[in-house]
Amino acid sequence: MSRHHLLTFAAALAVTGTVACGGNPPPVAHPAAPPPDSSTGTAATPPGGAPGSGRDAGTAPTSTVVPAPPPTPTMSADAISADPFVNESTDAINQHSPLQPIFFAYDSDQLDDAARHSIEDDAQVLKKYASWVITIEGHCDERGTAEYNLALGERRALAVKAYLQSLGLSADRFRTVSYGKEFPFDPGHAETSWAKNRRAHLMVTSK
Amino acid sequence: MMSKASRMVGLMAASTLVFAAPMRARDTRITSDPLQVRGTPQQPTPPTPPQPQQQTDLTLSLSGSGSHPRLAIPAFIGAGADADLLAAAKTVADVLWDDIDFEQEFDLVSKDAASRVPVAQTVETEPYDRWQELGADALVVGSIQRAPAGFTIDLKLVGVRGADKQQQKFGQSYKGCVFANARACAHFISDDMHQKLRGLDGVAQTHLAFTSDRDAQRLAGRSISAQGQSKEIYISDYDGGNPYRVTANQSLNLGSSWAPDGRTLAYTSWTAGYEDIYVSNIFQARAPFRPAAGDWQKQNQFSSWSPDGTKLAFASDRDGGWDIFVVNRDGTNLHNITNSRRAGIINGTPTWSPSGTQIAFTSDRGGSNQIYIMGADGTGLDKLTSDASSTDRPTWSPAPFNTIAYAAGPGPGHDIVLIDVTTRKTIVLTDQIGDNESPAFAPNGRHVAFRTSRYGKDQIAIVSITGKIQRKVTDAGNNTSPSWSRAPR
Repeated sequence: MSRHHLLTFAAALAVTGTVACGGNPPPVAHPAAPPPDSSTGTAATPPGGAPGSGRDAGTAPTSTVVPAPPPTPTMSADAISADPFVNESTDAINQHSPLQPIFFAYDSDQLDDAARHSIEDDAQVLKKYASWVITIEGHCDERGTAEYNLALGERRALAVKAYLQSLGLSADRFRTVSYGKEFPFDPGHAETSWAKNRRAHLMVTSK
Repeated sequence: MMSKASRMVGLMAASTLVFAAPMRARDTRITSDPLQVRGTPQQPTPPTPPQPQQQTDLTLSLSGSGSHPRLAIPAFIGAGADADLLAAAKTVADVLWDDIDFEQEFDLVSKDAASRVPVAQTVETEPYDRWQELGADALVVGSIQRAPAGFTIDLKLVGVRGADKQQQKFGQSYKGCVFANARACAHFISDDMHQKLRGLDGVAQTHLAFTSDRDAQRLAGRSISAQGQSKEIYISDYDGGNPYRVTANQSLNLGSSWAPDGRTLAYTSWTAGYEDIYVSNIFQARAPFRPAAGDWQKQNQFSSWSPDGTKLAFASDRDGGWDIFVVNRDGTNLHNITNSRRAGIINGTPTWSPSGTQIAFTSDRGGSNQIYIMGADGTGLDKLTSDASSTDRPTWSPAPFNTIAYAAGPGPGHDIVLIDVTTRKTIVLTDQIGDNESPAFAPNGRHVAFRTSRYGKDQIAIVSITGKIQRKVTDAGNNTSPSWSRAPR
């Protein structure tokens, strides 16, 4: 054989040797050792050294727990209502009402600027919740007689109703009633209390 | 000419009372028969016409001087009486003292002073010198005995001094009293004594109706966050005894008004959501009638009965403002008599004149709340008050008086004022203590019940028409809006 042919053969061998990562055979995967046995508190170490290096398949644990697959929920998509009161009773609505009361000066049923703004805000709410029926209660402070205040309270309720109508709301959504001075919101005997009682109070009676 | 000793203002006819306690129906009648004075023939005398403060010869003779005889009420005699009988006797004597004191036709030796005089068992053994020392002109000598359904009280008026000593001036046997309501026995006796001795219709058997929150429940239809507690109608004896509730609608109920028959009660209630007039016969368990037929557009309040009981006056907003309306008690012929019909004017709280031909009411047509008088047919208009502040809630006296009581003042305190409709002179009945409102005349016109804050909470009190505050008649809860009946007929 000529020296030329031998070199070619050796080169060919070297090429194949290089592809095989330098000539060593690739490592063979051994079965992993089982997880430590928690009841003994010690890791189970198979005899013969670290896992993967020995050939002691005869002493490794054989039981395995196949975890159950996660449950598949039954999903659906429901729209979130833009109405925060959709599931609330009228009682619950009235306890944290979106409708502001309207306050009055002593012995008066006139609407000042603040009163009109409150009614305008209430009108916005009522346009949004177009099915709501409202009872407008008229209240008074304790200074007039019980009898006079029943009439004054009715006038206050009617003044609010009239302004709401002027803002485009239908009259048949509103009822008026007077409670005079019978149910004060603040039982005190000074102007700070009286001012809170001179009011028209809006109650949602159906929705 | 009959001697003083034998002259007796004793009526032959027994006076009877239909003793009907509403809700506790009983068929008991108290009757009164004259007691015979030994050896003196009974002389029937015609009944004297009822006039206030008319004195009879008997009472003049008892007093000797001055117009008010002074009585003393010793402990009632109860020979062989058991504990229940003695307790009933004590109740009757106590309540009788209070009833006599109330009408102010007789002076009285105080209960305290009388209790220190030794108890006697017979008229003859009364220590007359002790009673004389206490200034008594006559003793009210009572004795109690058991009867089949309750007990009997024999009552005698016996002179104390001089020729009248030990002489019986008046004697009645009161039968039909019951243990369950010994107070009613005393009330019957008081009215009988005042009728026979003073020619006076007393009020001891009359009743009050009023509004109270004492059993307050959550006001139906209002949210819990709003402070709405129910105010219901109650009835009691004129002195506040035996109170009981007559409405149970968990609503606001005000403005009770007794019909002249003493059995029918009108009131304003919010039970339907809006205010309307309800008429109830309190002795019958029937649903009330609504003569004004209210709804959300026709709200009605503060009814007042005509003196003949055939009509109601009330305030209603059905014609645009607040006007005074009149309707028959069966709901027919409802019509507007003030005809303001304008949203700016408030007319309210009507009350009828004693003749039934006029109605007084409150109106702010002149700028402030004042009282006006109009014919019941809507004709004529007369302004009664022109106070610098406001006047409200008139109540017109019964005959023979012609006065109107009302609440006056700028608030928060009001006073009850009495005005003579003929002379227009006024007297202030209360004393600028607390807030005093909603006056109601006694059926004999001698007292006015009203609501007052002078005791702390709202209570019903009674003032005489001379301005003496005599009694607080309620206790529990807040009590307002009184009305005063005649005894039921």
